[in-house]
Amino acid sequence: MSAIEDLVTELSRLPGIGRKTAQRLTFHLLKQPAENAERLAQAIRRVREQVIACGTCGNLTDEDPCAICRDPRRDTALLCVVEEATDVAAIERAARFRGRYHVLGGRLSPLDGLGPEALHLERLLARVGNGSGVREVIVATNPSMEGEVTATYLQQVLRSTGVRVTRIARGLPMGGDLEYADGVTIAQALEARRDMSDAD
Amino acid sequence: MTLLSTPAVILRSYRYSETSKVVRLATRELGVQSAIAKGALRPQSPFGAALELLSEGVAQLYHRDSRELQTLAAFDVTALRRGLATSLGRFAGATTLAEVMLKMAPPAPLPSAYDRLVAGLESLATAPADAVDATAVRALWRLLGVLGFEPSLLACARDGAGLEAGNGAAVIFSAADGGALCARCAAAGAPDGASRLPPPAFRDLLALNDPAAALPALDAAHAAAHRRLVARFTRYHLGEGGAPPSPLPALDLWERRAWIVAS
Repeated sequence: MSAIEDLVTELSRLPGIGRKTAQRLTFHLLKQPAENAERLAQAIRRVREQVIACGTCGNLTDEDPCAICRDPRRDTALLCVVEEATDVAAIERAARFRGRYHVLGGRLSPLDGLGPEALHLERLLARVGNGSGVREVIVATNPSMEGEVTATYLQQVLRSTGVRVTRIARGLPMGGDLEYADGVTIAQALEARRDMSDAD
Repeated sequence: MTLLSTPAVILRSYRYSETSKVVRLATRELGVQSAIAKGALRPQSPFGAALELLSEGVAQLYHRDSRELQTLAAFDVTALRRGLATSLGRFAGATTLAEVMLKMAPPAPLPSAYDRLVAGLESLATAPADAVDATAVRALWRLLGVLGFEPSLLACARDGAGLEAGNGAAVIFSAADGGALCARCAAAGAPDGASRLPPPAFRDLLALNDPAAALPALDAAHAAAHRRLVARFTRYHLGEGGAPPSPLPALDLWERRAWIVAS
């Protein structure tokens, strides 16, 4: 296989990249100065060699513990449980949450063979257990059927710790339009409505 | 290509590209079908939250017999069944039903299988907490029955002789033979893996297979035994003909109830 063909094949294995796009990227790289391609190759190599799961929260990091776990300004009483490390990045983008995280590494999905033993639950229980200072666990698994059953299961597992367990809200997205929202989302938004009488 | 409208249940969904999903559907009119829901992952997609696992609705499909992947034009949800997410026992039972449909139901009309699946999901979503296990076992036996694997419980699976539940003797249940064996056939030699059912366990098995009978109250040990029995029967018939048994991860998880240890 030629070098060009080799790179096209490897790039087309990436999500969202078809063969045509892979070819375009390959020829783009060939037109660039050699050092650009070298930088890209080094970045890929470094990410594979240096990125690990944080030993405390399971987030992806190149230093253990990760920057969030090391940050003394973070509220240690609040713990947000998410399915994947990508969810940490999504919540951090909102710049609203100042607590710490716990990455489960997946969700309960019997059809994929993922039961409770596949999630990092012992580590979660150890973090929430007596003397840890955690007052509230926010369950931020996805609002899918698997995410919901994972949230229910977490609530049952955490019951014995006595810590407050909350679930992120579901409903209409900001900037959305009722007219175009699907029935399921509207029903969820109505169920999770909040009282406005003490809003002032 | 024809646009068809059919009641359907989402059995599985997979991400496909950045914006689309591929779903496996149990449909009432067309059996189990695969379909692409183009743009389903876009924020403003008309599919919205409709393509949730185990949700029931009316699917509009652009269908062609010769195609393996149909196109899903719309899916109007009629029942989301959030009740299934209230315990892992309900959810594991429901996904086991979905898995059996995926592995055993044909891509051809089989309305009775669809109806049994929907009835099973509904009963699991609404069952009292202490009856979830028995409800799931019954739903699975009933689904297997309509898919062509009904266990023979009233007559010997080998020679057709009538069986009596009340004669005080244990009954041999053989997955390989397709059900219970009379005393004569059992004495002649039961295959490896056959189970010996004491009379109360056989009576419970009869009740679990009879929708008109009251659901038996199964304690943890008996529920585990009935889960093992139906799981073994399912695995045997899925691997029939010498084919290597296909993996059934949801059935495995449901049978083991691994979550009990952690909770």
